[in-house]
Amino acid sequence: MTAFRRTTKAAHIDRTKPITFTFDGKTLSGFAGDTLASALLANGKTLLGRSFKYHRPRGLIAAGLEEPNALFTTGTDGRTEPNTTATATELVSGITAKSQNAWPSLAFDVMAVNQFLSPIFSAGFYYKTFMGPLKKSWMMYEPIIRKAAGLGVAVPDVDTARYEHRYTFCDVLVIGSGPAGLAAAVTAARSNLRVTLAEQDFELGGSLLSSGNEVLEQWRKTQIAELETHKEARVLKRTTAQGIYDGNLVVLNCIPQNHPAKMILEQCRAKTIIIATGAIERPLVFENNDRPGVMLASAVCTYLNRHSVAPKKRAVIVTNNDSAYTTAFELAEADVAVTVAEQRATLSGDLLAKAAQLGIAIFPSSGIANVIGEKQIRAVRLSGRHAATIECDVLAMSGGWSPVLHLTSHGGIKPKYDEKIAAFVPGGFAPSHYGAGGVNGTFGVLAAIREGETAAHAAFENLVFRKNLEAIELPALRGDRAYAIQPDWTVPEGKHAFVDFQNDVTTKDIKQAHQEGYLSVEHLKRYTTLGMGTDQGKTSNINAIAMMADLRGLPMSAAGTTTFRPPYAPLTIGAIAGRNVGAHFKPKRLSPLHDWHIAHGATFIEAGLWMRAWYYDWAGNSPETAYIKEMELVRGNVGISDVSSLGKIDVQGPDAAEFLNRVYVNGFAKLPVGRARYGVMLNDDGIVLDDGTTSRISHTQFYMTTTTAQAGEVMSWLEYLLQMHWTDLNVHVTSLTDEWGGMAVSGPNARRALQLAFPDVDVTTEALPYMGVMEIELEGVPVRILRLSFSGELAYEVHCSANYTTALWEHILVSADSLGIKPYGLEALASLRIEKGHVAGADLDHRNTLDDLGLGKMAGKEKDYVGKALRFREDCQAPVRWSLVGIECMEDGKKLRGGAILFAASDEIKGHGRGYITSVTWSTELNKFIALALYNGGLKHEGEDIICAFPLKNENVKARIVSPHFIDKAGERLHA
Amino acid sequence: MLEASSALVSVKPYVSSLLTIVEAPDFTLTQYAGAEKDLRKALGKFPARIGIVQDNLLRVSPIQIWSLNEAVEAPNCFVTPLSSSRTRIEISAVPARDVLAKCAAIDFHKSEFKPNTFAQTGIHHVPVLIHCVADEIFHVYVLRTFALSIWDHLTDAALEYK
Amino acid sequence: MRLQCPHCGERDVAEFRYGGDATKTRPQHGTGDLQAWHDYHFVFDNPKGPHIEYWQHTLGCRQWLKLNRNTATNVIEGRA
Repeated sequence: MTAFRRTTKAAHIDRTKPITFTFDGKTLSGFAGDTLASALLANGKTLLGRSFKYHRPRGLIAAGLEEPNALFTTGTDGRTEPNTTATATELVSGITAKSQNAWPSLAFDVMAVNQFLSPIFSAGFYYKTFMGPLKKSWMMYEPIIRKAAGLGVAVPDVDTARYEHRYTFCDVLVIGSGPAGLAAAVTAARSNLRVTLAEQDFELGGSLLSSGNEVLEQWRKTQIAELETHKEARVLKRTTAQGIYDGNLVVLNCIPQNHPAKMILEQCRAKTIIIATGAIERPLVFENNDRPGVMLASAVCTYLNRHSVAPKKRAVIVTNNDSAYTTAFELAEADVAVTVAEQRATLSGDLLAKAAQLGIAIFPSSGIANVIGEKQIRAVRLSGRHAATIECDVLAMSGGWSPVLHLTSHGGIKPKYDEKIAAFVPGGFAPSHYGAGGVNGTFGVLAAIREGETAAHAAFENLVFRKNLEAIELPALRGDRAYAIQPDWTVPEGKHAFVDFQNDVTTKDIKQAHQEGYLSVEHLKRYTTLGMGTDQGKTSNINAIAMMADLRGLPMSAAGTTTFRPPYAPLTIGAIAGRNVGAHFKPKRLSPLHDWHIAHGATFIEAGLWMRAWYYDWAGNSPETAYIKEMELVRGNVGISDVSSLGKIDVQGPDAAEFLNRVYVNGFAKLPVGRARYGVMLNDDGIVLDDGTTSRISHTQFYMTTTTAQAGEVMSWLEYLLQMHWTDLNVHVTSLTDEWGGMAVSGPNARRALQLAFPDVDVTTEALPYMGVMEIELEGVPVRILRLSFSGELAYEVHCSANYTTALWEHILVSADSLGIKPYGLEALASLRIEKGHVAGADLDHRNTLDDLGLGKMAGKEKDYVGKALRFREDCQAPVRWSLVGIECMEDGKKLRGGAILFAASDEIKGHGRGYITSVTWSTELNKFIALALYNGGLKHEGEDIICAFPLKNENVKARIVSPHFIDKAGERLHA
Repeated sequence: MLEASSALVSVKPYVSSLLTIVEAPDFTLTQYAGAEKDLRKALGKFPARIGIVQDNLLRVSPIQIWSLNEAVEAPNCFVTPLSSSRTRIEISAVPARDVLAKCAAIDFHKSEFKPNTFAQTGIHHVPVLIHCVADEIFHVYVLRTFALSIWDHLTDAALEYK
Repeated sequence: MRLQCPHCGERDVAEFRYGGDATKTRPQHGTGDLQAWHDYHFVFDNPKGPHIEYWQHTLGCRQWLKLNRNTATNVIEGRA
């Protein structure tokens, strides 16, 4: 008793290539050239899903991407994809498709009871029932409602499919390969332009594929064959143009064949774009118009002529325009008995004549009063003068055509209404964009071909390119029929007349929205959910707008459309992520010592993009304890640590000293050659930008270091000042971050270690005092030794070019092995500097002034520097600001935690507190947890007891505010 | 003599019948910056515009030239040795242009990206300089600290040619 | 969005760093005039239409540029 059958007529399926697939666990078969939808139809499957809210039985409506109902979950495990549109899915071997939103089965769906609850699921139901004064109830009911209403379910498994991106360029991008698109692409290709033709289908031809006309089929094949001969023409099938963005960027998502990637997202920059996306047929709105077997007339024609799937015996067609007669004639020629319910009163003579010749009965001034049959249409009752009941296998409806103008409107050009064809057409085209064929509201094949050709010519003009071009040979048709339509958009009576099938929006909902004042199309959309979901109202929007316009007594042009936004069709998130997942999520930055660290038991930690050695095996296997051993090594003996990630900048030029003197708050003009100085930079607004140590290599050359985190910022800032403002300064800056590697050698035995490593070099305090810089060579490799200390111990930084950093590091380790030198990682490095009270990235929150950090005294009183003026603005000089303090834990066995919120001992533990902990460590010197923090009022509160609250762990720890310099306040160790 | 080490010691060359990606080490790179007349005097040439390569000289900004030749004295210019700062990856054979097109938003079409030209752009947000050495041979100069990451990114892009 | 770098040609916006409003003159270095710095640093118009802006071609030639971008269309209408 199936309503559809395969015909024997030649079509675009390959009967020699059967393909098996499963639907709801049952194995079925189709042919190459089928879509999942056409194969299901050929297997007699007409009940394909349950609707969103009411769980009404649903079947196919369309044959293309606009399909609102036939959404399946395909694939398994991580490859599961919900809401796959069956009509846009090429049938390939092994597809496993499952219907959605039905339990326990499609045929018997428990939630179908919702149909009878439909009065309460009406427009605005969520808002009225669960929000507003009762919003707590929403929290309770949401999970239940979400379960009852919905589409497919996303799976939690990782998507294991591969997705790629690519960037392409072309002279002409043609979107759509119907008659207009093919003509445009061939015309452009003939002039040897770089042409890309993007077609969403797996077959080129667009509407031509549904025509069943031999002449047109020959023409289609000729154009495709010619495109293949043009070397610069790329033809992309299975490729959907998702959006057009600024700068003629078109995002295409392509499903490649025989390729490791499931999908490629192509960012195509086209000099010109020809939009030939055609048009989509609209449904008609009548009672029970959602019953399986009620389909768009053009879809019935597509299934018949493209896929050889015909209704079994009888078809009824309901239409308000001429285009449906193509379907009527094609069906009649395939031995289907056809009856037409014609909404219009009169019809042109040639259609009447041909209908009579084919034995088609036409009832003028008729419509559909109701559809009979629940899970499959059995009959229709006509309305109007001929109120008969007619048995049928399919009801083919045509409410006219809507141009697919989405891409023309992504840049903000509003569509305009064309009375003549009762449709919105593009309101214009952006420069270098052109439209051809159905998208312009041009519905004849010959006219579309001519428009395609014209669009290609217009594109050449834009490309300042002219060539004598051979005209496209037109197919031998006797001319296009004019497209005549006369829509009736008064809102029909009835309870189950669906406007938006996917979102279960009926005429009743639209009336209600109107009554309640949701008049604009944008409000209508949000209030009723019309036009939302995976199909974005491709079949429903125009009917809804028309009905609202009718209710308001407005012309369509005044009603307007909702805003068209990319993507045009549903797009898998994976396609957007591309290859930037897992290990490729973001680029990693590695020190020149990275391989050494791996080989010597380092555990790594991410610091920005950098992978840094966190701690080493020799000190233990736990991050909680290893760094303590490493700290002890530095405080008691000597350790070596990788500091290659520091930003390093070469500052050269006769005005280099003046330049640095301007960007640092402290003086650099008189820094002697061979000496280094710690400096702080401000932004123009007086807020601290960065700090670091800069050495003077020669009279005209400095070696600047920045923090790891701010290296890029500082570089851009210096370039900005030099290139845009201080063009009178002759200074040149170059990043050396990658050119130079560096290591800190720290601890009371640091000097002895250097003496062992560089026996020919005098590194005594006399030759290399604190903040001294020395340039030496080690076996021909230039090496810089800078005596500076981050840890507070006697320490040196040793830098050389990155190619030799590992060799230098190994040389020092081997030379000083007798001392027991060992590497220490980032955790120990950071802990040592916290004990010393040196601020670092974590403590700088881009809101700190110099005074907040206790560095106000550094700034030159007489000299000028960036940020000086605004540093003294009222806010920055406020008496109470969040300023740097030290914190000591006062409770044995308890921890301080980074990010803990600080309260005075007498405060209620509530709200944002008086500050927060920015860095924390166990102090090996003090034998307790210590921290740096920003605290309101800063060191004015020194000695006061506070509470460090960490609500995530429900902890409140007693602590005390102290000086941030926990050790060696006099600096005896680093001057040793 | 201290032994130099590459940022790509841990990788194996990518060699398939369709495509080759290897490190191309052992090059000298020196940056010269300054006024045109001083640069011309020191280097003998001054490429007319950014993006073209002349006698191993690459003009990378209005006032900066990268030289792949041995370093020379350059009075009044600012000289910065950069041989360690970049790792050079060579990608060659017919699909090289397609692989690069998966990585950077540059038009790598034969008619646009010709031998002896280069482009400074980004791969995976990392600055790179891509030099078309010959029709099917490209050198990608990548910041040394990002070299392994970009190597992985490039060889992964080439998966379909494995 | 594509930007025309006068040195490197037309490039993707991802190669650039935005540097903000370029319509104002930076106060002379060393000027202690608080009001002048305040107006320069904090007070901006937000025009719809042509706007002179700083952009740096960070992934290219690293040059800072003053470009005239139409904020309504993102079309670069030239170099300032």
